[in-house]
This record gives sequence, structure tokens and C-alpha cells, in this order.
Amino acid sequence: MPPLKGLREVSPAFEAEALASLDSLYRAALRLTRVPADAEDLVQETYLKAFRAAESFEPGTNMRAWLFTILHNTARNRFRDRARDTVSIDSDVVDRAAELPPPGGIVETPETRLMRDTLAPDLQAALNELPDAFREAVWLRDVEEFSYAEIAAMLSIPLGTVMSRISRGRRLLFQKLTHLRPVGLTNEHA
Amino acid sequence: MRSCESIDPLVTPYIDRELPDDDRQAVDQHLRACPPCHSRVVAEQAVRDLIHARQPELNKKEAPPSLHARCAALTTGLTAARDHDGVVKPAVIGQVVPLPLPAKASHPRTGAPLSRRTVWTARLAPFALAASLVTVVGGAFLYQATKRSTRIMAAELAADHVKCFAMNAALGTRQAPSAVESTMLSSFDWRMHLPANPSRAGLELVGARPCLYGEGKIAHIMYRHQGRPVSLFMLPGTERAQGLVEVLGHEAAIWCVNDRTFVLVSREPKQDVERLAAFVRSSLH
Repeated sequence: MPPLKGLREVSPAFEAEALASLDSLYRAALRLTRVPADAEDLVQETYLKAFRAAESFEPGTNMRAWLFTILHNTARNRFRDRARDTVSIDSDVVDRAAELPPPGGIVETPETRLMRDTLAPDLQAALNELPDAFREAVWLRDVEEFSYAEIAAMLSIPLGTVMSRISRGRRLLFQKLTHLRPVGLTNEHA
Repeated sequence: MRSCESIDPLVTPYIDRELPDDDRQAVDQHLRACPPCHSRVVAEQAVRDLIHARQPELNKKEAPPSLHARCAALTTGLTAARDHDGVVKPAVIGQVVPLPLPAKASHPRTGAPLSRRTVWTARLAPFALAASLVTVVGGAFLYQATKRSTRIMAAELAADHVKCFAMNAALGTRQAPSAVESTMLSSFDWRMHLPANPSRAGLELVGARPCLYGEGKIAHIMYRHQGRPVSLFMLPGTERAQGLVEVLGHEAAIWCVNDRTFVLVSREPKQDVERLAAFVRSSLH
């Protein structure tokens, strides 16, 4: 294990607050790596970096967001190291690749009402099928409830891109989920 | 009225209710007149509401206890390593805290395994002898006692004390006295009997497990006193002068029997450490 510069700055309160985010960091790591062993590795490296850089954390700001930023940066660097997904993760090419058909006349419909009955496993499956860039944006916003600015820092993308990815991600999910449970089949076993 | 293009970047904050009033009204106005945009907003809103409703289930997955332990031990292990250079502040070592958020305080993984400030305060309360004894058997590290000062030895043992408790808290291991004793025999060729009826000293045997960082030669026996960690180390083939050393926020009571050195490490008050050491010394055979 490498020596830990800056460790002297790690106060008990800092460490406690940092470690309190471990489960949500692990979930993020699992989404990014999809492999439990890699996810554990990523989380541990995130904490190493966080403890090492403890003095650069600005007290009063969101430590969870700070940790998520470290985790995402670390993950990006790893992807780069492996020459995998180098462009697609961040590029707007991804955004355009998921072009949606124009929304077709949906108002308050049985579809939107059906959505409310969608169970977590179906939702999780739909989320898993999303392209990484959209899944992560939606998840960070709607599950982890970070601000747009915090997400922008984590994903290293502009604020406007954060919002557009959230928007597209939500629409893609809507399509997947309404396709999963077509209108009119509510009483049938899917 | 604004165009669809100018509304587009406002849709997400509109749905998230983060738009200022004037923008919000502009979007409302547009949506009343534009069915496609209205449909889009309804769909995105439905997804957002759905995710919010399913949030607890989506967040159910927890990290493995071993990962919690490894991360909690990060500063401990590294602090211990740094101590060789005399760099670390003495207070750091005893302050390593696993996951003490109030909401998780009762979690079995995080149930007050390590001493911390609140515990120090609590010990000022009337002295209750409710305590438990955790025994961790394993090699802490190959300790070259003759080459180092007693103080450095105590510091290393204090670091190991904190680290192993972090592991034990995560894994929740328990072991019967007989299992501990047989491990001592097989691992250290040490035919011993744990103190009988340890509750006389307010102690209770909880369990044993090998130390993760072990390379070998030290028996590490861990206690809890009022839920707080107390470790007993046995260093075979080592002789040390008897004494009480304060190091890294811990008290270390040292004594020697034949060619074995015993060190009892804790953040408990000095008189308690002395009492517990005396008890163990007289009842460990």
C-alpha cells in the first residue's frame, strides 16, 4: 500500500462522514464497472485518494458529492488506462447516438399511469439497459439527488449536458418501461 | 410564446422544480399550447416520479462487510506504517472510526466497535462492568522486538488493536473459548487456558478470527470493555520489562512470563487497564 500523504489531516469526523457514503459509492462503482471485484477496488481506491486529499475538501460542502467526483474521475482514468470506452463515455457523440423519435402525442395516458405501478426490478433492468452516460446522469439526479452542478463536476461535463442527459435518459426509460408493459394488458401476466 | 427549442433546456429543471418563477410560467404557457412538448414533459415527469417512489429499493444493495472493514482500516494501517517514521500525530491512531452515523448506529457492522469521543465521555458515568471479550487469534506481524523500543512496540500493537477491531466489527465473528485455546496451541504451540469465568472482571468471550494482515508470530487476543476494545497480545520468545506505556492515545500494560511477553492495549482509563491486566495475568494459564 502506498504511503498516504496528507493523512494527518484526516480527522475522525472527516473519516466517519466519508465512510458513511460507502454503500452508495459501491452502488455507483457497480454501475460503472459491472463487476463486483472491480467495484470494490474502485471504492477502496476512492477512499485512499479521499483520505490522501482530505485537506483539499472544503468544509461545509457536500462530502458525498466530493467522494462521488473522486470515484467517477478514478473510473474514467481506469477506462482510459484500459483504452476502453475512451470517447463514448464523455462525448456528445453518445448523446446523439441515442436520438429519440419525436414524442408522439402522449398526454396523461394509461401509459403514464401504468408507469406508477412499475416494480423496482423492472425499473432496475430498464436502467441497466440505458447507455452509461444517460444511466449515470439519471441515477445521480433521481436516486442520489445530487445537484446539476455536482453531477457536472462528477462527470466532467457542462451543466447543460447534464440536464439534457437527464432528460434523454428519462425519455428512454419511459419508452422502455411502457414497451415492457403495453397498454391494455394490465390484467395479463406479462 | 417561446419556441420548442428555447423550452428544451428548461424541461429538466422544470420537472425538478428548480426553475425560477418567470421561466416556469414561460414553460407552462408553452406546454398549454404545444401537445408534443407537453407529452414529453409528462413522460419525463412520470419516470422521475417512478424512480423517486422506488428509490429505497434501488438503493438496497449494500457493499460487502469486508469492503467496509478494508476502507475503515485504511487510515489505521497506514497510520501504523507511518509511525515508524515518527511522523504521525499520536492522537490519530485511536480516533479511527468505522461508520458512526446516528442512523446506522445500531447496524451490526457498525455497533460501536472502536473507542471514540462519545465513549470517552460515557466512561465517566458510573462504572458498569458489562463487557465482552473478543478474542482474535492470529499473527499480527512478525515483530522484531529486540530491535525496537518498547514504545514503538506498543504503538504498533495499538495500531493492530484498532485495525483488528475494525475487521472484527465488520465480520462479527464469535468463537468459543475452546476454539481459541486450540488455535493458540496449533498456531503458537502455546498450551493455554483463557481466564475462567471472565465476567468476574466484567469480561465475556465473544469470538476469534485470524488477523487479515497477519504474517505470523504474534497472538492477538481482543477484549471489549463496556463495548470498548481491549487487546491482549502475546509475543513468544520475547522478554520485556514490566510497565505501563501511554502511546497513541492508548494505555499498554506490559508484563513477561517466562519467555513470553504480554501486552494489554486499550483506551480505557489507566486504572482499568491495570486492573484488567492484573486479572488476565493472574487467571491466564
